[in-house]
Amino acid sequence: MSGQNYSSTDDESLVKAARKGELAAFEELVFRHRDPIYARAFSMTRNEQDAVDLSQEAWIKGWQRLEQFQGDSSFTTWMTRIVINLCLDHLRKQKRHRADSIEELDEDSGGVERQMPVVTVNPTAGMERAELRVKIDAALAELSAEHRTVLVLHEFEDMEYKEIAKTIGCSIGTVMSRLFYARRKMAALLADMRKET
Amino acid sequence: MNLEQQLKLQAFLDGELPEREAREILSWTQRDGVAAALLAELKNTRQAMAKSEPHLSLPEAREFFWSKIEREIQRREPVAAIAPEVTLFTALRRWLLPAVAVSALVIAGMIAHFNVPKTAGATVADADTPTVETTLANSDATTYRDASEGTTLVWFSVAADDSSVPSKTPAAIN
Repeated sequence: MSGQNYSSTDDESLVKAARKGELAAFEELVFRHRDPIYARAFSMTRNEQDAVDLSQEAWIKGWQRLEQFQGDSSFTTWMTRIVINLCLDHLRKQKRHRADSIEELDEDSGGVERQMPVVTVNPTAGMERAELRVKIDAALAELSAEHRTVLVLHEFEDMEYKEIAKTIGCSIGTVMSRLFYARRKMAALLADMRKET
Repeated sequence: MNLEQQLKLQAFLDGELPEREAREILSWTQRDGVAAALLAELKNTRQAMAKSEPHLSLPEAREFFWSKIEREIQRREPVAAIAPEVTLFTALRRWLLPAVAVSALVIAGMIAHFNVPKTAGATVADADTPTVETTLANSDATTYRDASEGTTLVWFSVAADDSSVPSKTPAAIN
């Protein structure tokens, strides 16, 4: 480690230095981007310790795969893809250990989302951004991992249906169905929260 | 409204439909109140989520978090060093270089072998080539002859009773 101060160095130069084995440069990258990487892990797992562990693992993988970073996207986007894949693996492992819920069975049969009444009044109208973030966070916590994942990838990562299907390893039809259900459930949850306040 | 129609409505909202289908859905929502209401609900949810991702911070101090990553990186790196990826180039370099070196030595040996005059003994030499002889009967004497210079040197080994006397004493005979 050179002990060089990298605080004013741009990401691209930090990546180059890190590729040469400069751990200090990589530490600076971790310092700069640790929060969004952790946030993505948390939004998918909804578990603080899992999110910390998965984001840590993502950084280690990032170091090991630095040669693969082509610079086509930003470094944060590249790191976010790594943490997303780790979270998906983690969720798959978790799913093997639990029985499918009734909610998921209903989703497969296309029943529940079609029975929910349409929320005609916008439940978030006039809400401050900070308040809206809290409500969105609370509503996301109510969704199943499968629905939340699709919603997060579509709304927060701006992925198209095809890209989500490829990332998750399912059909585009499943992505559309899960996204539809997730949105409808979010609307219902946000409407309920509005009534409570 | 069936599930397929609902999903098409959503695909329309997300800009995932071809232009012709998108026009059809737009026309449908203008005619059908239920479709329009569902589209509005989906749109409101989408807009609410846009740029509303909760801001979260890693619940660990920078130094602590980094120390765990650094330790793990260092723990895993020796494994990579022990079993590096063997590329075609490294495999060739590993086996080809010694093979080339051995081949070169063999060729050099063969050339040297075939260039040596076959008539000879060690005593027959070119006039220009100095020779060194060891008298086998008396290994205490060594002779050096240089015909071109007309010089002969003989070394006599003397038992070193006195450490100040050199063990071999050259004597020049011209």
